[in-house]
Amino acid sequence: MAPVAEPFPISHITGRYLLFDIDAISHARREHNICGVLVGTIPNLSQQNVFLGVPLELMPEEARVLIEQGHAYLVDEAEAHQTGFAQMKREDRLAYLQTLDQQGLERAKVIQERKEERSEKVLREKGLVPMKQESSCVAPSETSESTSTPSLGIGISNKESTAELSLFGRPSDPPKPVALPETKLEAQFITPTTSYPPLAPRSVNSSLPLPKVAQNYPLFRYLHSMRYFSMPGLRFGCHYSVYPGDPLRFHSHFLATGIGWDEEFDLLDIVGGGRLGTGVKKAYLIGGEDSDKATQNASGDAPNEESVRAFSIEWAGL
Amino acid sequence: MAAIVKTSAQQPPSAGVPVDDTSNSNKSVPDVTNAKSASPRKRRPNYAQIHARPVPVVVHPLPAFIPHNPLSIVRIAIVMFSHSLWPPTSHDVVHKAYYSAETHSIHVTNPQSIRALWEHGFWGAGSLSRSEPAWLEQEKRKRGIDASQTSEEYTRKRREERRQFKLERAKVQRETIEQQLRDEGKLDASTSIDEVVSLRLNATVDAADGLVDNSASLSNGKPENIGTLESVVDESAHLETRVALKDVAVEIQDQEHLQLTPEEAFFLTYSLGSLQIYRGETALSSSYLLRLYCAYSAFPIPEDAESHLYTLYSLRERINNFSLGTSVIAPILPDNAFLLRYAVYHHFRSLGWVVRHGIKFACDFLLYQRGPVFAHAKFAVIIVPAYSHSYWSETPERKAETKAKESRDWWWLHRVNRVQTQVHKTLMLVYVEVPPPWDESFRKGGFAVDVGGALKRYKVREFIVRRWTPNRNRD
Repeated sequence: MAPVAEPFPISHITGRYLLFDIDAISHARREHNICGVLVGTIPNLSQQNVFLGVPLELMPEEARVLIEQGHAYLVDEAEAHQTGFAQMKREDRLAYLQTLDQQGLERAKVIQERKEERSEKVLREKGLVPMKQESSCVAPSETSESTSTPSLGIGISNKESTAELSLFGRPSDPPKPVALPETKLEAQFITPTTSYPPLAPRSVNSSLPLPKVAQNYPLFRYLHSMRYFSMPGLRFGCHYSVYPGDPLRFHSHFLATGIGWDEEFDLLDIVGGGRLGTGVKKAYLIGGEDSDKATQNASGDAPNEESVRAFSIEWAGL
Repeated sequence: MAAIVKTSAQQPPSAGVPVDDTSNSNKSVPDVTNAKSASPRKRRPNYAQIHARPVPVVVHPLPAFIPHNPLSIVRIAIVMFSHSLWPPTSHDVVHKAYYSAETHSIHVTNPQSIRALWEHGFWGAGSLSRSEPAWLEQEKRKRGIDASQTSEEYTRKRREERRQFKLERAKVQRETIEQQLRDEGKLDASTSIDEVVSLRLNATVDAADGLVDNSASLSNGKPENIGTLESVVDESAHLETRVALKDVAVEIQDQEHLQLTPEEAFFLTYSLGSLQIYRGETALSSSYLLRLYCAYSAFPIPEDAESHLYTLYSLRERINNFSLGTSVIAPILPDNAFLLRYAVYHHFRSLGWVVRHGIKFACDFLLYQRGPVFAHAKFAVIIVPAYSHSYWSETPERKAETKAKESRDWWWLHRVNRVQTQVHKTLMLVYVEVPPPWDESFRKGGFAVDVGGALKRYKVREFIVRRWTPNRNRD
């Protein structure tokens, strides 16, 4: 793993916060307890959840925590891409196009070779010896007298037909070799998958607004500050499932739900949450932020008290 | 309903059986025919017979008409004749109950009424028990007077057995691991297996002892008896010592009463008429009760809401005369929690379900097909108000307000759904269509509320949600 220079960029694309760099992903997980969710897959061959790869999607809360603590910065990818290419120098652009062409040509060559290998293999399976010199695409002018086509099969049939003809005792003219138009190797069109070799690395731009988060953000920040790992907890009906260490090593301990300080909520939710948590050997956790204390802390009037309080609930009867 | 007709047909129709006549005799006496079976386990009481009546009302159906037996017409004629001369009553006993503002529940204290309400339709819950009022029996059993077993004790026993089983299993697992280690040569060869195993076992047994101690100290504070007053505990302890000293069976005073939820009580008073709620000596009318329950379902509740409302109620004649009614009585809001709950309760009770409070499974109601003693609840009902009437979308403020009231987030749905899946119940979201405010037009009469007219405005829609997992839903 290469060291990651902080702050590292978080790509903001259509409202999602994504990490594309594998080093940044492992750095965030190791150093900052940020797990995120891998979402990458092949578009026409989507995978099960456990086999997904990069990019890593971050919850808005996770992105915000990283940015607020100065470990990362936000990049508006669409805009960065457009301005980056618009401001590119002419020489750079030509060089880039040339490298693309080069890559395309190499790709085409590989494909061609593979095609030939395949046809050779098929012929060998049929017990026919491929003729070396008949690789017509590379050198169509060197074909033998009897064959005009690159395909060997046709060549053989031609020979048979000449034998038949000779049977009838007619003097046969050898068929005239027809010269094929020379197939030029067409460069494949390469769709570039990254914009960041051609573009210069992005600069820190603090003008972007912080990620928008729901009112359960203070609870997330609080748990993160206590060195807990969080994962999205929708399948348990909570905002975050909270792990005491890396989720690969531990089971989660809490099902955390963030609630506003003065928000009214149904007591049935506590019964249900407690029941659910205990059923899966976890504790239900609710927490919220006292907005008065938060503003006091922000203005620096009062001694820095923790403005978030959290309570864990367990079902005692089970 | 079929059960009712059958049993009543077997009894003489005009006998006018008292409501509680089967109660005490059937409950404790085990079925004689069942006792013959070889199993040493005590047979369950014959619940089908005890809970034959689904509501605390007696019905008097005509005898069956048998076409090939012309004499059956004579029987029908006799019964019809006797009914017309001496019309039988369906309400032999109207039970008495009291409203308790502190617990927001209705208390029934008469033991006969408690048994009758429990047996005929599973109404309410014992204040010191889990659901069936069984505190007295439990107490008797504790002192060795009665040998029957209540469900709470059964649960406790089952939990104890399960814990023992887990300990045993852990022990066996440990042993196999030891054996495996030994086979692989990872254990010290000088120590014998037995030695190691017994050492380890001792350690585990010690740990288990610690567990037992802990759980014993925990089980002293029985969860069912949390509600017990200090004085009750003291008294029972006192009684216990007395029993031990004198070694005689003491008549134990029943400390328990039956608690009905407002919905149950209102259904019994308003729809069935087999419950009458008193305040002191005065019987309360159902429109007053509706106002009372609604007042206690809206948040926040003023401290003396009940006495305030009652004063107004007792002065209602004068209020009407001075036409002050409109200013002092708060109107019932159409989306009052009690009304929504009652509409749903009434809906399902009328369709023959036994509806019980669902707080222990984090839902509003649980639906039992025949009753909790027969089978587990099949459905868990959660009430969601629906404001689809055009009145609620007239102004933007009203729209925003109703949206906040009827919207739930995805986390909520996942939570409730998962909880219900865990306990093998089907989640039923019941949407109650909230009508526009209706109380203003009824207010001219002071306390009078056209309960039926008001309830007719509510519509109930059921919506079943199930967690679908491809591996488990193959059937």
